[in-house]
Amino acid sequence: MTPEKKEIIHVKNLSKTFKNIRKRESLLFKIFSLINSERKKELHVLKNVSFKVYSGEVIGLIGLNGSGKSTLLRILAGIYPFSNGMVKINGQVSYLAGFGQGLNPKLTMKENIFLIGSIMGLSQRDIKKIFNEIVNFSELKEFINMPIYKFSSGMKARLNFSISIYCLDYHKPDILLLDEVFGSGGDISFQLKAEKKMSEFIKEGVTVLLVSHDLEIVKNYCNRVIILNKGEIVKIGEPKEIINEYKKSKTRNN
Amino acid sequence: MGLKHYYNKLKSIIGLALSLSKANFKTRNEGSYFGILWYLLYPLSLFLIILFIKNSGLLTSKIPYYPIYLFIGLIANNFFIKTIASSIDVINSNSNLIKSIKTHYESLVLSRVFESVYSHFFEFLLLIVLLIYYQIPLGLLIFYPAVFGIFLLLTTGISFIFATIGVYINDLKNIWMILSQIIFFITPIFYKITFNSIQHKINLFNPLYYFLDITRNLLINQELNVIILLIFSFLGMIIFSFGLFTFIRFKHKFAGAI
Repeated sequence: MTPEKKEIIHVKNLSKTFKNIRKRESLLFKIFSLINSERKKELHVLKNVSFKVYSGEVIGLIGLNGSGKSTLLRILAGIYPFSNGMVKINGQVSYLAGFGQGLNPKLTMKENIFLIGSIMGLSQRDIKKIFNEIVNFSELKEFINMPIYKFSSGMKARLNFSISIYCLDYHKPDILLLDEVFGSGGDISFQLKAEKKMSEFIKEGVTVLLVSHDLEIVKNYCNRVIILNKGEIVKIGEPKEIINEYKKSKTRNN
Repeated sequence: MGLKHYYNKLKSIIGLALSLSKANFKTRNEGSYFGILWYLLYPLSLFLIILFIKNSGLLTSKIPYYPIYLFIGLIANNFFIKTIASSIDVINSNSNLIKSIKTHYESLVLSRVFESVYSHFFEFLLLIVLLIYYQIPLGLLIFYPAVFGIFLLLTTGISFIFATIGVYINDLKNIWMILSQIIFFITPIFYKITFNSIQHKINLFNPLYYFLDITRNLLINQELNVIILLIFSFLGMIIFSFGLFTFIRFKHKFAGAI
């Protein structure tokens, strides 16, 4: 008899509405809108989303752009509040969205490692402990004192990936929310190395929710897949079956 | 959650704020010919202009050690106005960061406050030079960090409030520009007000006035008015607590609002 798996995430009837989605307005316009009692524009990004995730599972979230995948991850990460429903999370959550942000072009590589490490919640002492690993993994040791604006986009991508992955590893989260993080952006050899590192990380037993447009990655890594469409769950199930259905629906819509 | 949890959280908020402020401070001065001297040039130029006006006989009130009186006023005003102005757009200008990582938003506001503290440090060094030049005893200078600490607490509280409002109101920066002009002329920065005058009554609601009064008495008159210091400390703690409370109350809405 296999032991029952622990429920790590429980989402029930979750809805998210963005109110007043116009561009930021001036104070006068806001006052005028109040007097005019103009109805605020609303965008319903998630509608009655319900699912459960058990410990060690890797769940893929797929869907077209604007289907609510990233919003769902941000709600689970605690970045966005939700409008209705219930979210129960058992464990420490880390959220990672892409590798393209955060580097300060005027600072050197060394200074950037310390800065992003701090933003990712590590103390200076913690960053010092993993500093050499970050530098070695990025293979950019000779550029350590060079400002980032002199780096090529590939070098920046290498550095971004290395900092993010080692900082995440240091945190040892129970739940990992990954938003389009596969495909580090470096050259082919680094991309393979990065993908290997990422898969090692996933296979360590952490519970993962993974958003990706790369269906091969979803098929290779996930135990279950959720299709989201216009903020609603269309189907949850085995990767092969769900991905085939998703491909068919995309072909039908085209 | 015990005390250790709060201690670790505070340590992490301040640690991140220090890293961000150091990075901003460094990048702001990178490639600049005058570097950190720019921080001194603004109060210094105003100082020289007002001193010139005073020496031309346009400002007639007799104030002992007027250059020191004036310089204290200018650097305190500079710190107060600049810190709040830079906090107004701190959330919006970090929208990418806020939407991509769960971090302590308080650190973003504190980083702007710390940046102002760094520049105030250089202004303070210049103030010491002036005190030495005018042969004023420096003994009571040891109380300055404590008095400035209360002022810092108060300014941080207001910065938290403005950072929160700045998320929702685009015009706040412009409003603050006008308000800062009013504060500059209402506060006795380059002139003196008499006790119980209408200006004095207005300034009782001006936190900057308390700091100026305590600091000038401390450094020029070599006196420490304990009652005013207590009122100021109380005001500082109230404003800081209210500002922080407001910020914490609204911070979970920031990512969705920007």
